[in-house]
Amino acid sequence: MYDFEGFTLDWYKELFQDTRLLIIVLNTLVIALLSALFSTIIGVLGAIAIYQLRRRQTKNTILSLNNVLIVSPDVIIGASFLILFTTAGIKLGFYSVLLSHIAFSIPIVVIMVLPKLLEMSPTLIDAARDLGASKWDVLAKVILPYITPGIFAGFFMALTYSLDDFAVTFFVTGNGFSTLSVEIYSLARRGISLNINALSTLLFLFTILLVIIYYFITQRTKTQVGGIRND
Amino acid sequence: MIKLIRVFLSVVIASAVLLFVINRLNSAEGFSSGNTITIYNWGDYIDPDLIKRFKDETGIKVIYETFDSNEAMLTKIKQGGTTYDIAIPSEYMIQKMKEENLLLPLDQSKLPNLKNIDERFMDLPFDPNNKYSVPYFWGTVGIVFNTKLVGDKPFTSWNDLWDPSLKNDILLTDGAREVIGMGLNSLGYSLNDTNKEHLHEAKAKLDTLTPNIKAIVGDEIKMLIANEEAAVGLVWSGDAADMMGENENLDYVVPSEGSNLWFDNMVIPKTAKNIEGAHQFINFMLDAKIAAQNAEWVSYSTPNKEALKHMPKEMVEDERFYPSPELTDKLEVYENLGKKNLAFYNDLFLEFKMHRK
Repeated sequence: MYDFEGFTLDWYKELFQDTRLLIIVLNTLVIALLSALFSTIIGVLGAIAIYQLRRRQTKNTILSLNNVLIVSPDVIIGASFLILFTTAGIKLGFYSVLLSHIAFSIPIVVIMVLPKLLEMSPTLIDAARDLGASKWDVLAKVILPYITPGIFAGFFMALTYSLDDFAVTFFVTGNGFSTLSVEIYSLARRGISLNINALSTLLFLFTILLVIIYYFITQRTKTQVGGIRND
Repeated sequence: MIKLIRVFLSVVIASAVLLFVINRLNSAEGFSSGNTITIYNWGDYIDPDLIKRFKDETGIKVIYETFDSNEAMLTKIKQGGTTYDIAIPSEYMIQKMKEENLLLPLDQSKLPNLKNIDERFMDLPFDPNNKYSVPYFWGTVGIVFNTKLVGDKPFTSWNDLWDPSLKNDILLTDGAREVIGMGLNSLGYSLNDTNKEHLHEAKAKLDTLTPNIKAIVGDEIKMLIANEEAAVGLVWSGDAADMMGENENLDYVVPSEGSNLWFDNMVIPKTAKNIEGAHQFINFMLDAKIAAQNAEWVSYSTPNKEALKHMPKEMVEDERFYPSPELTDKLEVYENLGKKNLAFYNDLFLEFKMHRK
């Protein structure tokens, strides 16, 4: 506990001198970006595959399997991954964390993308096929543009889930690799230093900056495209 | 489609740049070169300056990782997949790790500075002849109290806690052996007593303390007492030192009937890759001046008797954290009582917690 005494930038200075902490912050960001990217790609393909399934029963079975990861508690997922990785002989560290983050993000992406697909009128695809579009054309020019908002939503959900995940990461880190949430947790035993507060401020400002940039980009594309429908 | 590809490409580029920066930082710190040791320690439990100094003196880079509980550490080491060269568990965990064959024996010929450790803290029941472990810090269990809130009331004995004036004013640390141990100690029994009659007697005595107990809590006890939510607490000396750093009205005492003596110890787990480096590090930490600097920074009690000569007088002469030899004789280290007795302790503690009268 610290009493407020005055304004200072000392803790920011200390923060930037702490290379270990900086490495951990960057690790956290890389893991979040990469796991969101991979899980989005796999999740979108998965959602399209589920959408194309004909038999209602198989569809429901696969969807329920997909939901298992969302419903089961993080601690269980983390412990299971720890057992899996150690029996498979995968060294705990960057790759084990990345793999587990991808795994728990995929169902989220599927859940975000699937409603968009179901909302799309099947006549759109029929019309495209009718006008001579190949399977690839249908995917690239009809389906993907239509579900783009869902894909972005899935990507950002995966990103935030990965950024603030503690329980799963806690189990699968090791060998000098750590993420921010795990590190802050271990610091809590003897009181958290104020440079963590400084770091939180910076991360908060960084997120705000991202949101503003995102806002301006969407504004610009909207005016550029003008009359053409673009969601 | 193009929009998607563009966004994904920028994500890939951003990650590549970040990975590159991490790589540069890692090699700048020397973490990626071969000669390293990995240390697995409690958070904030070493002076960071010493890690740098160790690197300068021996050329071995230190990768430092932290854990928050003995159990978390045990899981990581037991499951494998990690390469910790040094870990710092508490004494009861060392017994457990020994039983599970998770420790490598120390080569004492490589630890000349071992002579600096006070004999009182060598060859203890949890590790005969210090075959596997070297004490890092030690401490006691005692009473922390707020002089502003309790007035002039002196605390010297466990029985002072039963004073009716402390109604609803005591916080207990949530540990079966600590709380039952307090009951045993207040009756003059040993902390390692396994006589069921004595244990029941202790439990009955604890039941009469119930009106005074405000809550039984975990780590948050530090914050609660520092914020004056309660006047008295049953705590470990290390936590007490933290609280006293935050609130100057607090004082700490080890009751005269005796109490527990605990240790955190350096060990080399089975997962170690750089055993030579690990020995060098242990020996480095045992050096009198280094240990003194570390003890000043961490503010726990050091078992290194040579280090005491290099530390400020008011710290070493503080009987609250370096109790007199007469009192130390009454302090007991927890012995491994075996699964059955431990379960009995836990059952009694649970009963005590659940059936508050």
